[in-house]
Order: sequence, then structure tokens, then C-alpha cells
Amino acid sequence: MGTSKSSALDQAGRWLLLALLIVYTIYNVGPIFWLLLSSFKSRMDLFSMPPKLFFTPDLSGYQSVFGVGAAKDSASAVGVFDSLVNSIIVSFSGTALAVFFGTLAGYVCSRFNFIGKGDFMFFVLSTRMLPPVAVLVFYHLMFARLGLADTRFGLILVSIFANVGLATWIMKGFFDGVPREVEQIAIVNGYTRMYAFIKLVLPMVKGGIAATAGFCFIFAWNEFAFASILTTTQAKTLPVKISAASGATGIEWTQICAAGVVLIIPVLIFFYLIRKHLLMGMTFGVLGRR
Amino acid sequence: MSDAPMLELQGLKKSYRGKRALRGLDLTVNDNEILALLGPTGAGKSSTLLASAGLIELDGGTVRLGGDDVTRIDPASRDVAIVFEGFNLLPVLNVRDNIAFALRSPAFREAEDEIARRVGRTAELLRIAHLLDRDVGTLSGGERQRVAIARALVRRPRIFLLDEPLSALDLKLREGLRAELRQIHRQYRSTMLYATHDYHGAIAIADRIAIVDGGQIQQAGTIEEIFALPANLTVGKLVGSPSMAFLEAAIDDGSVVIKGAAQRLALSGFGRVAPSGGKLLLGVWPEDLEVGPAGAAGGSAGSIYAVDNRGFERAVQVETTAGSFRKVVPLEFPAEQGEACSFRVPDGAGFLFDEASGRRISHQDGRPA
Repeated sequence: MGTSKSSALDQAGRWLLLALLIVYTIYNVGPIFWLLLSSFKSRMDLFSMPPKLFFTPDLSGYQSVFGVGAAKDSASAVGVFDSLVNSIIVSFSGTALAVFFGTLAGYVCSRFNFIGKGDFMFFVLSTRMLPPVAVLVFYHLMFARLGLADTRFGLILVSIFANVGLATWIMKGFFDGVPREVEQIAIVNGYTRMYAFIKLVLPMVKGGIAATAGFCFIFAWNEFAFASILTTTQAKTLPVKISAASGATGIEWTQICAAGVVLIIPVLIFFYLIRKHLLMGMTFGVLGRR
Repeated sequence: MSDAPMLELQGLKKSYRGKRALRGLDLTVNDNEILALLGPTGAGKSSTLLASAGLIELDGGTVRLGGDDVTRIDPASRDVAIVFEGFNLLPVLNVRDNIAFALRSPAFREAEDEIARRVGRTAELLRIAHLLDRDVGTLSGGERQRVAIARALVRRPRIFLLDEPLSALDLKLREGLRAELRQIHRQYRSTMLYATHDYHGAIAIADRIAIVDGGQIQQAGTIEEIFALPANLTVGKLVGSPSMAFLEAAIDDGSVVIKGAAQRLALSGFGRVAPSGGKLLLGVWPEDLEVGPAGAAGGSAGSIYAVDNRGFERAVQVETTAGSFRKVVPLEFPAEQGEACSFRVPDGAGFLFDEASGRRISHQDGRPA
């Protein structure tokens, strides 16, 4: 009697969990699914009510986004290819350099004591506290004076400054998880600390480096505030370009959806590439086993 | 080889963020001996080993290896090997490469065929030959420590520094590996400094024992020497199992009176006694104390507070008016928890300590009773 009652409860709990998961999945996947569908819809299909799940794919959005095919000479073509290249160059180099410097700084902060270390760590963190909007005008003036306005190099610098603090903090945490004995063993057995760092410690934090790179890449790729004010034509990144894309005939939703898909794909590729190391970074406790 | 001791530490001082870990520590380890550094957690054992290896920067003092002052010499040039308690194996290398690690370094490089020969032989000795190609993550605790010891051994360093190398292992493994370490020591005639908080482990493996506490060596010598003349209260508390019994006492008219007890001990049995103004403690090794049924002739009254069964014997905790102590008694000893009993300190079986300073004030002539 008691068992059947509790199993009925179990059953109810399971259904409830399933329902919650379904809702959560729709919440997460729904927008992406909608974006993907809409990017292939014609203007007519896009606004039909109820929304069509089955329709004839229409590539006009993508043609217009890349300025090819039928939209090649159209006035409403966005032509995102250049800004896609800008985004990729700025995000990848910004991420790589921020992770590089963050790894070095994180190691030093994890292993060495120096005067003002606490202040330094706080300062590093504080670089992320300021709302970008507060300093945008100053950056604009400074970059204009230095000749960095509307250059990829300038945006890469911004990306490094914005991310190196975060990278330092995350990497310090991962280095803290590596026992000091690793370097001690190396040094006692006739190696240098540099050897220990490069050959023994770094491989142990591979996962952490991947996770840090993941964070920095997302920030760099999605960065909008600085890119929108510091670029005009040459160095515009994809988010800026898309936001500015409203054609002569009003907002081109198909175009924007297609551009949104283009915006998502590099992120997917990036995380696909680092997925193995990322998993290691998230299960770091296993590595730190004593 | 010179006649200088293998390792000679003088006046080592080290603070970590204002907390003093070593306060002028002096220690000598002779060639071919195993010296156990016995002390509680935080006594300064690890700091002593790290300082000997050159892995921490000292605030003061000198380190000599084989007579040479190496205080300012970098660790790679000291030719020492170290085994830690927990983390020893580099996860990015397999077992074979972990053992061969030192032999491929710029400082201790050997030819690859020599490395293969030595790694094979050492692995054989420690019975880990079947593990050589394994990933270190797949090893058990005992296997890990064997590999770590093999890595230290393969290089034949001037001194082995072992920092609680076995304390993470279970009792059986620990005893087995301890015996193997002694065996290896005999075979290779190596010098070892073995830090441990485990009294049994220390006396089982060591030729000499150094009791360390508060960042200083309290006493160093063979276990017989320490039993015969414990230097101070700390030594009494750290040596023995159970450790020394301490009873409140006073000197009265040529005899030692244990607080609240009937028995009086002749002061003449305590050798030369230094004058002391403060409270006194009578320290007696539990093995010397006699515990018997209540009312035994010449005994003082006490009561059994607790009884532990130890298989072939029992340990009793005895409460007295002068303090409590633990003692191992035969299984047939008639004692139940809460019962009255008696205890007696045999003639010549005790040491007087000044409670405030902890110093031993009896037997000032240096002769045990």
C-alpha cells in the first residue's frame, strides 16, 4: 500500500521534472530555432500568422547579408563579409593575447608573494567593474588622437584590456589547484622553474586555459559598446554591422535573422574546437587529486 | 668522503607571514644513518626538509651538506632527493618517465640505455616493474609512494628527505613499505632524514630520533638515550605509546611528594636536582609505573577512568589526584571502568620537570637512574 503510494508520487515527480525540462529546453533552444527558421523565410512567410513550420526556403536573407546573388547590387544589401572578418580577427587575437598575458600574470599571482599583491589583484579585477559607457567618449577621443580609431589593432587592444583581468583571475584559480610540489619536484631533480612551468604546470591547466579562452572569446565576440563608438567604416565588427542594418524599406527581419545565424556560427565552431579541453577544465578536481 | 656529517643544520630561522615556523633549529644527520624527525603537525618538520633541499628561502641559519655550506646553493646543485606525503607524481608523465625524471634533467643527465637499466633495476627492487607503462592516475596510494621512492632512489642522492612519505597509507602498507625502506637503506648505505608525526613509525625505522616542536629540536639521540634522559616535558609528551605520565608533585623534606598520594619518593633517587621555585611535575614512563588492585601495599589510590581493548593487551586510563595517565596492561589485568585501583612509582623511576619552563630539573649530573 505504502509502496504503491510512494511510487505514484515518484511517477508524478518524474512527469513534473520532464515538463520542467521541456519548458527549459524550449526557452533555450526556441529562439535559436526560430532564428534559424526565420533566416530562411521570405518576407511573406515571416509575417504569416500562425507562423509556418513548413515553407519553401528562401535564401534572399543570406544573399543580402553577404551581398551576393540576386542582392549583389541591391541598395539594401548589408555586406557583412568584411565585418565578419573584422570580428574574427579582433576576437581571436584579443582572446589569444588576453589569455597569454592572463596566464603569465595568474601564475605569478598564484606562486609568488610580492609587495602589494592584494592591491594588484583588486586593481586587475577593478578593470572589469567600470561600465564601458562611462569611458566611451574618452576612449573615442584618445583613439582618434593616437590614430587607433576605426582600426582592428585598436579594437584588439580594447579586447585585451577588457579581458586580461578576468583571464588573470580565472587562471590564478587554476594554478592554485596545481600543487606546489610539481615545481619543487622539478627543481630538486635538476630542472629550472621555467621548465616546470612550461612542461609540467601548463599541461595540467590546459582545461583552465580552454575555459578562460572560452569566456574571453564570448566577451570579445559579443563586445558592442566600444566597437560601435570606436569604428566607423573599416573596422566595424559583426554585432555593430548587424545593429546598423536597416534597409530603405524599414527593418529587414530576414536579413537580421540571417546575420544572427552568421554571428552564432563562429562561436559554435570555437567551442567545438576547445570542447575536449573545456570538459577537463570543468572537472578540474580530478586532476588536483592527491 | 670527508668525516663531516652528511647534513648539518645550524640556527635555521624561517617565518611565514609573521608566523615563526623555525626558531633557530639545529640538527645533524650522520652519514649512512636514518634520522627520524618526530613532531606534531606544525612543529617545523616540513620547513626543515624544504630548507635542507633549498626549496624555501631561510631568514637565517646555515645548511651544510657533506661539510660544504650550501645555504645559498640552488636546489638542483645540492643533489638531494625529496619524497612528499601526498603529491609526488607528475601527472603529465607515465610511471617510467616519472622514475627517470631526474636522470633526464640538465643536472643529472644519463645516457638513455643507462636510464633504462637503472629504472628497471629500481622498479624491480620496489616491486613496481609491472607498473612502468601505466598512467600515474591509475595507481593506488601505495603504488604511488613506491614510484615516488623509486624516483628518489634511482639517482643515488647524497641524502633522502622523506616528508611523511607513508602517513597517507593504511597501516599494513605503511609497515610493509617501512620495512622495505630499511632494507633499501641497508643495501645502499644511504642517508635519510625521515619526518613523521608517528612515534611507532619513527622508532621502527630510525637509527636516531630528533624530537621537534615549536620550530626547535627538543632532543636528539637514540630512543634508548631519550628514554633514559628525556630533555623536557615536550619530549615526554611526544615519545612513548602511551606517552609519559605526568603527576603533580612537590619536594618536601628530602622526599618527592605526589599530590594527594600516600607514596613518598626519596629525593636521593633523582640524582642532582636543580633548584626550582615553581610547580613541579613528576614524569614517569608508563612502562615503569605499577598499577594494581585497590589497597595494594605501598600504592596510592586511583581509579580506572577508561579501558581500551587492544587485542592481546589493554590500555587503561588511570585518574589520580595528581593527574591522569595511560598505561598498557596485560589482558588478564582485573580492571573495569569506574573501579578503584592503586598505582606506585618504583624507586628511581621518575624525572622531575619544572612545569612553567618544561625543563627537566632532576638528574642534572646526566646519569639516568
